[in-house]
Amino acid sequence: MVNNRIVKDRLAQGVMFSLTIIAILFVVVMAMGLYLKSSPVLEGRSLFSLLTSSVWKPMKGEFGFLPFIVGTLWVTFLAILISFPISFLTAIYLTEYARPVVRRFVFPALDILAALPSVIYGVWGMLVIVPWISNHVAPHFMEFSSGYTVLAAGIVLGVMVIPLLVSLFIEVFTSVPAELREASLALGATRWQTTKKVVLRKTLAGLLAAVVLAISRAMGETIAVLMVCGCVIGIPSNILESCYPIPALIANNYGEMLSMPLYESALMFAALILFAVVLIFNLLSRIILYRIERREE
Amino acid sequence: MAIEIQDLNVYIKDAHILKNLSVTIPEKQITCIIGPSGCGKSTLLRTLNRLIDSTDGVRLEGKVLVDGTDIISSGPEITELRRKIGLVSQRPCPLPMSIFDNVAYGCRINKMYKRHRDLENAVHENLRAVGLWDEVRGRVRTPAARLSIGQQQRLCLARSLAVEPQYILADEATSALDPISSKTVEDLFVSLKNNYTIIMVTHTLRQALRIADNVVFMYLGEIIESGPAQQVFKNPKQELTQKYLSGAFS
Repeated sequence: MVNNRIVKDRLAQGVMFSLTIIAILFVVVMAMGLYLKSSPVLEGRSLFSLLTSSVWKPMKGEFGFLPFIVGTLWVTFLAILISFPISFLTAIYLTEYARPVVRRFVFPALDILAALPSVIYGVWGMLVIVPWISNHVAPHFMEFSSGYTVLAAGIVLGVMVIPLLVSLFIEVFTSVPAELREASLALGATRWQTTKKVVLRKTLAGLLAAVVLAISRAMGETIAVLMVCGCVIGIPSNILESCYPIPALIANNYGEMLSMPLYESALMFAALILFAVVLIFNLLSRIILYRIERREE
Repeated sequence: MAIEIQDLNVYIKDAHILKNLSVTIPEKQITCIIGPSGCGKSTLLRTLNRLIDSTDGVRLEGKVLVDGTDIISSGPEITELRRKIGLVSQRPCPLPMSIFDNVAYGCRINKMYKRHRDLENAVHENLRAVGLWDEVRGRVRTPAARLSIGQQQRLCLARSLAVEPQYILADEATSALDPISSKTVEDLFVSLKNNYTIIMVTHTLRQALRIADNVVFMYLGEIIESGPAQQVFKNPKQELTQKYLSGAFS
């Protein structure tokens, strides 16, 4: 009997270990697949020119990815700019100030928001945000804007990211032991002072990790952004112009022009860029996190 | 000035946690609150500096007079109260900052010193008061988390002393420490009683025997007996106290 139990334990461990390896391998295989698929477009063109050129003429075999990269960065940056302060203060309120009754109602509401399909956010953006920008915001700055802009994409994406960011922040804040807050309160500090000087300090690394995760998610968000960004190829000079982020490019075109092998390859390369940007971003944040943690100890 | 507790009742949701407590805690002495687990010792301590406010569904009745002011009815203006009453918790809880900043934290929060020089002197003085100065001089700017547990607990005491409280609450402040650190901290409390009124929750009867001037014995949310340590330990009036002291239950 005893042996049997131990065998089962070993077996379970083995199975779970294999599954973990497979999950990691998926990422590696995907990266390799993307690289192989995008090799045709890399032949005869320098990586530098692909990344820095803004000429996009697939028919002539000219592929410049700069507009798409800039579009992605613009929209993501704007989304985080909008969602960060809101999520941050909401999470502080909920963990440090709100009564448990409030939390009991707000937490499920946040979960529902997080679970809404992104196409719904897209529709909301088209029906509300786009006309609002076109009729009320843009006229202050230019003669005409369709409303399908970087700003619209940033707002929609920002709102989408809020529930994710709030729940990540809440998780980070609740990891701070109650005794630490009490130690500060017992010295005569107010809640705000305690939050500012103890809780935020203790959670700096965690907050950064949360933001990076949110940025990674935001960079890859496709459908809601695609619906409101305008999908016009070109480098936007301000947030009231249209843009064309990488995920939208891939989703819009993949499967359409596969008769042109080079075009398919270019789209695969776009996916590889997205993959690499997110990867580099995460690596950088890991390094920063490591530095912060080492400083604390 | 003493702390006077009059008919204190504490409810958490439907549970009646502290029942009709009335006791006077004399000043500049060590008062030990003893009793078995779950008798309400810690709740009483947390009521005295109103940290209990953060507990969900808590309701307080009665009076707790600190320097003649009732702290139960004094509303949310409790930061000043908390500054007057230092707290040393069971596990040492250094703030996520340097040794220096830990001790300076309360002083800065309460804007006690205008000149950095004065702040520095105060920090050093309080580190000396808890016997930590010689161990940490030269590295006061390093994170407090690098200290040993025993050192951390003394640091927490220094941090409490730095805001110049009149009272010190200690919640089983030595229970997480090794025997040597435990002895050091215990001796510290004894040396501090000339200047502070100390209220200590302790789980170990021997500790109370060693250092208490006064004893409050609690059982199931009630005060069974209280008085000078000599009297309570040598001639307990209540049968329950006798049983507890003789080790019939713990």
